[in-house]
Amino acid sequence: MREFKYVGSAFCAPETIARVNGALRFGADLRLPGMLHAQLVLSPHAHARVTGIDPTRALAIPGVAGVYSHHDAPTRRYCRYRILPAQAGCIDDEPLFASTPRFVGDRVAAVVATSRQAARAAAREVDIRYAPLPAVLSPEASLEPDAAAIQPGGNLISTYDLAVGDSAAKDRSGDTPAVITVTEVRTPMLHHAALEPHLCLADCDSSGQITVWSPCQSVYGARTVVADLLGLPYNRVRVVKVPMGGSFGGKQEFILEPVTAFLAMQTGKPVLLVLDREECIRATMVRPEQRSVMRSTTGADGRLGSLDIDTLLSAGAYAGSSPDYAEAMAHKLTRLYRFGHYRHRGRVAYTNGPVGGGMRGWGAPDIATCAEIHLDHVAAALGMDPVELRRRNLVAPGDIDPLTGKSVGDARVRDCLDLGARAFRWSERVGLPPGDGRWRRGVGLACGAHKNGVLSESFPEFSTMTLKMNEDGSLDLNASVHEVGAGTLDTLRTIIAEELDIDPASISAREADTASTPYDFGCFGSRMTYVCGAAALQLAALLRERLVGTAAELLGAGAQGLTVRDGAVWSIDGGGRGLAYADIVQRAHVLYGRDMIVTHTYRGWSNPGSYAVQFAGVEVDVLTGLVRVTDVLAAIDIGRAINRQRVEGQCGGAIQAGIGSALCEEVDMDAAGRAGVGGFRNYHMFNAVDMPPVTVLLVEHDGDDGPYGAKSVGEVATVPTAAAIVNAVNRALGTRITTLPLTPERIVAALCDQSAHPRRSAACC
Amino acid sequence: MLLKTTVNGRRLQVRIEADTRLIDVLRDSLGLTGTKEGCGEGECGACTVLIDGVPMNSCLVLAAQAGGRSVLTVEGLGSPGEPGVLQRQFVAHGAVQCGFCTPGMLMSATALLARNRNPSEAQIRQALAGNLCRCTGYAAIVAAVAAAARELAGP
Repeated sequence: MREFKYVGSAFCAPETIARVNGALRFGADLRLPGMLHAQLVLSPHAHARVTGIDPTRALAIPGVAGVYSHHDAPTRRYCRYRILPAQAGCIDDEPLFASTPRFVGDRVAAVVATSRQAARAAAREVDIRYAPLPAVLSPEASLEPDAAAIQPGGNLISTYDLAVGDSAAKDRSGDTPAVITVTEVRTPMLHHAALEPHLCLADCDSSGQITVWSPCQSVYGARTVVADLLGLPYNRVRVVKVPMGGSFGGKQEFILEPVTAFLAMQTGKPVLLVLDREECIRATMVRPEQRSVMRSTTGADGRLGSLDIDTLLSAGAYAGSSPDYAEAMAHKLTRLYRFGHYRHRGRVAYTNGPVGGGMRGWGAPDIATCAEIHLDHVAAALGMDPVELRRRNLVAPGDIDPLTGKSVGDARVRDCLDLGARAFRWSERVGLPPGDGRWRRGVGLACGAHKNGVLSESFPEFSTMTLKMNEDGSLDLNASVHEVGAGTLDTLRTIIAEELDIDPASISAREADTASTPYDFGCFGSRMTYVCGAAALQLAALLRERLVGTAAELLGAGAQGLTVRDGAVWSIDGGGRGLAYADIVQRAHVLYGRDMIVTHTYRGWSNPGSYAVQFAGVEVDVLTGLVRVTDVLAAIDIGRAINRQRVEGQCGGAIQAGIGSALCEEVDMDAAGRAGVGGFRNYHMFNAVDMPPVTVLLVEHDGDDGPYGAKSVGEVATVPTAAAIVNAVNRALGTRITTLPLTPERIVAALCDQSAHPRRSAACC
Repeated sequence: MLLKTTVNGRRLQVRIEADTRLIDVLRDSLGLTGTKEGCGEGECGACTVLIDGVPMNSCLVLAAQAGGRSVLTVEGLGSPGEPGVLQRQFVAHGAVQCGFCTPGMLMSATALLARNRNPSEAQIRQALAGNLCRCTGYAAIVAAVAAAARELAGP
């Protein structure tokens, strides 16, 4: 087992210090001379026609610079999900300001003023008249033949029908199935709930050059959408990634950049737009609600014969990423389990509801929640232990994912299952009776898979980076990095440091800026460590080669006899002094006219699975329906932890979100299409008191070709959590709740229903 | 109106309106942007500051209420150029990811350690109950506070 000096360990980066002393400036902390503040005016109707806009009273408020609406804006529509100019699967259906708002929260107008207070006051004074139109709030209703059309072209946005395997197979052994199981699972709209609200700052200088400062996940994507909308050449729009207070996908689509850039262009001044929490919940994006019906056949030996899934997903008012998101759901299970036959049909529908967008896991948590609840039903029908059922069907290293034809790589999910089950004491705990008093105990598990990059998805899977060594031996990394808070900058530093044997804190790494950092697709698809980390490793190796080669010339020695250690080049056989990097750089400049700078483009060529198996213990109060999560254990197939502390930190946050989605998080919608939830007062998340102890076990088998064997963790860690919790609650209570979240109301209702139709005793309300 | 208050040990006079929030005075008038606004309704704790040692959501405090009082923000922790014990332990324990909740967490923890030199884990979690975090799952933050308590208590 290789010994590492930096890989695996934590270190303190300058930006971390700036986060603890309040010095780091996030987007809302920026101030530019003459900066104006913007406030959006949002539709109170789920569907309406704007019949009149009178800005007179608003314009009369001191400090107001302008009021803008569809009368002023380009008529061209755009897709908030677009990154590539000619990206397949992008529907340009969103206007800058709606003349026919399509959901409660749709942008109708914007006010710009010298202070945020004046802008907010003026926004309330813009007199807008609406003629309400019929609103369709569920995908089932919107797909009825007589439903009102929400967008031209009808309410069915996209469909898919994927199938692999032998459709005649009922189970792999050829016998007729022992069980046929059907489950329907519903997951609600969720709020990403990054602590930092959505924001954007934009400026338009005297030459018409636009600059956008945004906590986004792709500066090049933001540039595409903004430049195309405003009709500007790409090199006249500069997008700068500013430090971000979390995203979890909520800031990956271009929600505020187009309107803020437009306002800057109109006013010729810097414009800062910061949303409040209510606007973030209702008017940015939600994880889309979906329902999936699963039908499977399983042999008596527990092997899955066929799995047939029908998914219906609500995109909300604009298509955004929903078509791709829904289809992504269909690609998450065949890299996790072996099926005789797998078929997945999906439909995506418009509704007059909040716009759906990608959330951490990008469909994997959604479908894993469905599938893992379903598999517990299968296990129950077979009378088989749920862990054993998984064990008989999980993929093995080197399996081919039949949907993509690609290898799942060194898939160590079975190791995760075995290791986790043992550490969690599954066999012992699952055999314990739940009890028949007020508190019932139960355990549950779930498995999940995710990926490492966007290879084979019609997206550019490459990253170009430059690494430069200064005359004092310090380094500058120039790459389009988008730090979301997970530690990407530190990961890249660690990888480079390990290759060159220098202090990772001596590497200066800026974030993405279209004016100066080379092209990178963005922070999506769990590609940062696996692809960008691999790019950084090759980059560092090239610089190492240059340093060693130059040292060889300086020393009059052969390069093959030299190595690097402690920031210097040494003779392998131990003779002589080391030549410090700083010396090499200085002498190379003067003697050879050579700069210690390398630029490299790395192209990703594989996309293995990352895997997580999670176990949860719960205690349910049958009187109130409240659930206490007693403990969670996560076993993650990560290949190699580049920074163990950050990996565990990512698991903590991922599990907090997964638990919340199982028990208490939901963006609801009333009959008028308004979300009742409007803040953290009623969007409930697990806090420090609620959170259970979490144990993280890492399986580091180093069998894939990521940097130092690393695979992704940030998304996969949230994939199985919700299902593990739901399975634990249902096991504790003997219920079959399949609509999330399992709120106290839903639990009590299920218990009352159960006692009305007893299969086992339960306390009733 | 004129607000007379002390912020991070400095006595100040600031022009405010009757409805100016303390968070806006800190961030806009004084340029102390370390205090963050996450929700504007006192639920997330990102705006936590200490007023006469008591942790409060500055988004819910009228600036005028700070008149004659002493306000401590994250910028007032430690000494210039030298992070304090809590800050160093946050860094050492990986308690900082995106960093947006961090100032509020530090302020709540500062208040806790001032009134309780040897808090249990449950007491730490209770003290942080009003500070939401979406990145860390809280464990590293709790461990950092416990370590800071031990360090402050001395050998």
